[in-house]
Amino acid sequence: MKKIAVYSASLVGAFMMMTGGAMAAPSCGLSNGQKANGEPIKVGAIVGQTGPDDFSSSGDAAQAFFKCINANGGVNGRPIEFTMEDDQWNPEVAAQVGNKLVKDVGVVALVGSGSFVDMAVNAKLYADEGVMSMAGACAISDCYESSNIVTAAGGPLISSVGAAQWAVAHQGAKNIVCVTTNIPTSGIYGCSWMQKFMENKGLEASIIPLDPASADMNSAVLETIASGADTVLVNMPGGMAAAFLKVAEEQDLRDNFKWISSTPLYDADIPAALGKYWTGVLTVNAELNPIDGTGPDTTNWRAIMETYANEGDPRDTFSQAGYLAAKYFVEAVLKLDPADINRASVTKAIQAISGKTSDMMCGPYYVGLADRHLPNHANIMMQLVDGGFKQVSECTQVDTEYLAPYLAIEKEMGISN
Amino acid sequence: MKNYGEKYGHFEMNQISGQWRRWLAPIIILIVALSIPAMGSALWLKVFTSVAIYTITALGISLLYRRLGQVSLAHVALMGCGGWVTLRLSHAFHLPFEFQLFAGGVFTAIVGMVLAYPALRMRGLYLALVTLMAAGGFSILIGIIQFPNGGDGFAGYAITAITHMERPYLAQSDEAFFVYCIMIAVLAYALVYAHEHAKPGRAWALIRRSEASAMAAGINVTFYKVWGFALSGFLAGIAGGLLAGSLQFLDARSFPVGESVMIFALTVVGGAWHWFGAIIAALLFRLMPALLNDWGVSGDAAFIFFGAALMHALATAPKGIAGQIAGLASRLMKSGDRHD
Repeated sequence: MKKIAVYSASLVGAFMMMTGGAMAAPSCGLSNGQKANGEPIKVGAIVGQTGPDDFSSSGDAAQAFFKCINANGGVNGRPIEFTMEDDQWNPEVAAQVGNKLVKDVGVVALVGSGSFVDMAVNAKLYADEGVMSMAGACAISDCYESSNIVTAAGGPLISSVGAAQWAVAHQGAKNIVCVTTNIPTSGIYGCSWMQKFMENKGLEASIIPLDPASADMNSAVLETIASGADTVLVNMPGGMAAAFLKVAEEQDLRDNFKWISSTPLYDADIPAALGKYWTGVLTVNAELNPIDGTGPDTTNWRAIMETYANEGDPRDTFSQAGYLAAKYFVEAVLKLDPADINRASVTKAIQAISGKTSDMMCGPYYVGLADRHLPNHANIMMQLVDGGFKQVSECTQVDTEYLAPYLAIEKEMGISN
Repeated sequence: MKNYGEKYGHFEMNQISGQWRRWLAPIIILIVALSIPAMGSALWLKVFTSVAIYTITALGISLLYRRLGQVSLAHVALMGCGGWVTLRLSHAFHLPFEFQLFAGGVFTAIVGMVLAYPALRMRGLYLALVTLMAAGGFSILIGIIQFPNGGDGFAGYAITAITHMERPYLAQSDEAFFVYCIMIAVLAYALVYAHEHAKPGRAWALIRRSEASAMAAGINVTFYKVWGFALSGFLAGIAGGLLAGSLQFLDARSFPVGESVMIFALTVVGGAWHWFGAIIAALLFRLMPALLNDWGVSGDAAFIFFGAALMHALATAPKGIAGQIAGLASRLMKSGDRHD
């Protein structure tokens, strides 16, 4: 009897350890388990949900984090009222919902936005109205060249150059063709700076732009073959990138090129979607650290997504970035007097964010008072393996002239030498 | 000639007796429109600014359809032409907005005249296909050259964050710009009205009835057809310039081919035969998706409604929603007159 009791206790203990390892309890804000009932703090986000691809995972993660906050004491008793709007990848709609959130709803900040148009359309609005956008998935240059927008993600430029830099160093890439969207401030922005990186090394590069509204992947694959490149860099939203790779698979082009990608393909669902064909062949740049990492923030992000997000919400880099944006936002406003939380005080608190470190990021996250922000300019490479990804490089600083003004800002702020 | 003009040329509101009744509805609509900024909603102000802009485009489409029986599936692309010129001049020379707007309109009128060339030989489906191909061509072209964003060179485009274009001196705020757009829309209506009640209107009416008859009557059919396309293109160009002013930049993704087809379809649904059909078309085109989006319904759901509305219009209301409203108003007035 005693033996059975010991075995039973051991089994229960082992089960608890296993479940504990698989999913720790979510931790957020005050973590007191008390529902916040005070006057809501209005926060918004703009995501590109309907359109050529769903680009809302950063907003979903921010929403999940705020649900956790509201169930755990809120911001010193005040819950966060989170309004997420869909810009439909349409500039007119982005302007409409931006004005709605900033002027009609009166949000104190935007947190977790993920879009291909919002930042271009509304950067001026945010600056004029003195509101900060702590974005998650920033797919366009305006995100990194505006005073009132900041993100933990590196963006298409940092990711594309990072992927090319790795391919040159580790795979001997000499001629890279970048297959991307024809959105100038997104796909072309990333690929043209990758092109400059290659030219500076005395190497070759070319760009194949695709219209995301009517992307013809067969033509793109044919152009890729005709490019004469030895390496293909896929720099598109996840859905489009997967479609392109499917067509390449149909043509059995795996062994004709080296295959690299920017971050959008780093998604927990991608290995299953692409199948075994790309195992050990496709290497993806990740703007943040691995989604299956064991650090405190990565573990907590997964737990929060498990508890507060929808099952179908992606677990990808942009979701991580949305989590970080929401976390740093809450940490900033928790320092404020709850009775004095308004747009001006929140903007000031966000601008004061400095030196935040996380196991999700290679370097520190900061905001500061500057005309542009790009705190994350180091990243890693993940290779597609059977059913998942494995890390094939450590954190590496991205080598591009584009960073010069940002490094000058960091020097001025005392972040780097 | 005058009889043709009366039968085919005048707006349906001429059926309403009395001069005061003729202007009552436009004045009421204008007052309602001008009171929209007082609602105090930034979202709906943006939406109604778009409605005012696309009213001008729909006005040009309905002019072609009503007067010349021509189907244009390229008007949103024509807006892009006007918007491109307006933006380019703004970034290059910083001229007064009105000058840039007018230049954009004139350029688009010339493009409209080029489009009119096949219209001289084609009608119906074939012309519609030509205009659709033109819209497709524009979509590809603008994807390559992009809209000016403050860069150098002919295209004025650079891969960097956008430099926002300047708005009119008198309309810097969203509220003032909305009123500005309303005033331009009123001027657009006046321009069309002036044409329809003058020699071009009478010529178009006869051309629509029979080109052979028109030629027999000594009308220069080629000239008036080209003129109709030029006027319609001018209006689309003005609308494109206003859209650029509203957003303070333009994005190639705002001008897909599908939008040109959609606004034509909605002009038919709204009612091309009535002066306020263009307003209904613009409301359907921009207000309906915004309402659905605000209610949390996917904006794409509007396409299902639009498809059903188009089938309804083609099957039961050939003069569109505006025709139904005008018919109802006419019946009510007659009923009221009988009671008097």
